Amino acid sequence: MSTRTQTAPSVRTALYEAPGPRAKRRIAIGTAISAVLLALLAALVVRQFYVTGQLAPRYWSFLLEWPTWRFLLQGFVGTVEVALTAGAIALVLGLALMLGRTSGIAPLVALCRVVTDFFRGVPSLLLIYFFFLVVPQYGIQMPAFWMLTLPVALAASGVLAEVFRAGVNAVPKGQVEAALSIGLSPAKTMRRIVLPQAIRFVIPSLIAQLVVVVKDTTVAYVVSYPDLMQNARVLITNYDALLSMYLVVAVIYVLINFAINKASVYVAHRTGVKIIR
Amino acid sequence: MSLAELLGTYGQNYLDGLLATWSMTAISFVFVMVLAVLVTVARVSPVAPLRGLGELYVQVFRNIPGVALLILIAYALPQLRVVLDWRTCVIVTVVLLGSAFGSENFMSGINTIGVGQIEAARSVGLTFTQILRHIVIPQALRTTVLPMTNLLIAVMLTTALGSQVPLSPQELTGVVSYVNTRATGGILAFLISALGYVLTAFVISFVGNRLDKRVRILR
Repeated sequence: MSTRTQTAPSVRTALYEAPGPRAKRRIAIGTAISAVLLALLAALVVRQFYVTGQLAPRYWSFLLEWPTWRFLLQGFVGTVEVALTAGAIALVLGLALMLGRTSGIAPLVALCRVVTDFFRGVPSLLLIYFFFLVVPQYGIQMPAFWMLTLPVALAASGVLAEVFRAGVNAVPKGQVEAALSIGLSPAKTMRRIVLPQAIRFVIPSLIAQLVVVVKDTTVAYVVSYPDLMQNARVLITNYDALLSMYLVVAVIYVLINFAINKASVYVAHRTGVKIIR
Repeated sequence: MSLAELLGTYGQNYLDGLLATWSMTAISFVFVMVLAVLVTVARVSPVAPLRGLGELYVQVFRNIPGVALLILIAYALPQLRVVLDWRTCVIVTVVLLGSAFGSENFMSGINTIGVGQIEAARSVGLTFTQILRHIVIPQALRTTVLPMTNLLIAVMLTTALGSQVPLSPQELTGVVSYVNTRATGGILAFLISALGYVLTAFVISFVGNRLDKRVRILR
């Protein structure tokens, strides 16, 4: 969505002068106080876990068993399948929407604009309810996989269309003018000159957008598709260990998305491209 | 079901849903802004533990799926004897998620200010607080208008998480599932809620763009 520059430490460090002896002392005192407060906070949280009996081994021991992790891994595979399929569909659809919007054919431009804004302006949960509750009313039976994948893909396609458009806009105008003036058709200019560069510009953003797709797949339990979250819910009913399981799953999701974000930043760094959101 | 029939039976639900979405969005966004400022202050502070906490906060809440966080707050926290009512659960979830992105917006706003400006300000003798008040904050705010507009829309879309807990009154997404489990509302039942979101998003981004054009710093 927003253009995000990488957090360069330069401005952050430029804000402060090299601290003198008094400032150094004050920073040291501040560091000590905040460290103590944070430790206290952590201790309070652990205490609350202990007082409410949530540290009892029966809530955590099942996490040491292989079948637990095998089941979670199966869920993870489900998550990956949905995320990658939805991502692939969204790529194609997003590209098509962007091409339509920049085609210059008035009705097509208007249509693609409305569709893009619609999918960007609607929560993905609402789209999932559409495929889960509304589509079957018209006699269309869909497997749970598609009831989840299609809405996630549609929601992402709106965003990706805008990402692609930002990439196209980042290609210098002079190149388009040059291509047209040597006699290339507008379509050929797009295909041969603009798109190859635009796609390279947006690759890091596309990777970053996978995070949104992964997040959207977590509501798979609405359509009872066995993804990571749904399988965790099954484990919870088996072991009666709600808090520990949900905490572990949340941490897994955070790590997955963190890794995707890092990959995006790495690719952006390698190719010298800014991440467009 | 025809439109008239649908609105006749469930019109009030949709209206309440729209108002619930709007009010949760507004309340959440106020707290998002406050918390985003606090987190950003922590992230640029010279105190190492605070900076670490700020970074951890942003990484966690930027990457956690909304549903996972909502479930933790709504169903796991009560096991620690922290019980919040459903509406508060949704708002807290949205605020935690939104403030992480808000802080990222502020950070990139700060980073667009040239290091030279800060050095210049210091060399003419401005103090640290003066630099923040007269140089950094005004510029950071101006460049973040558009990202924050997008964040406001994202906050509104995130309140759809409210459909995953028994809210009353329900918000727009919850109304769709409510109507469709009771009647065959068809595509119309879905479109009414969708329009509620899309039109609101349209108004927000229109106002945001106008505001941005007025305050933007051309570089």
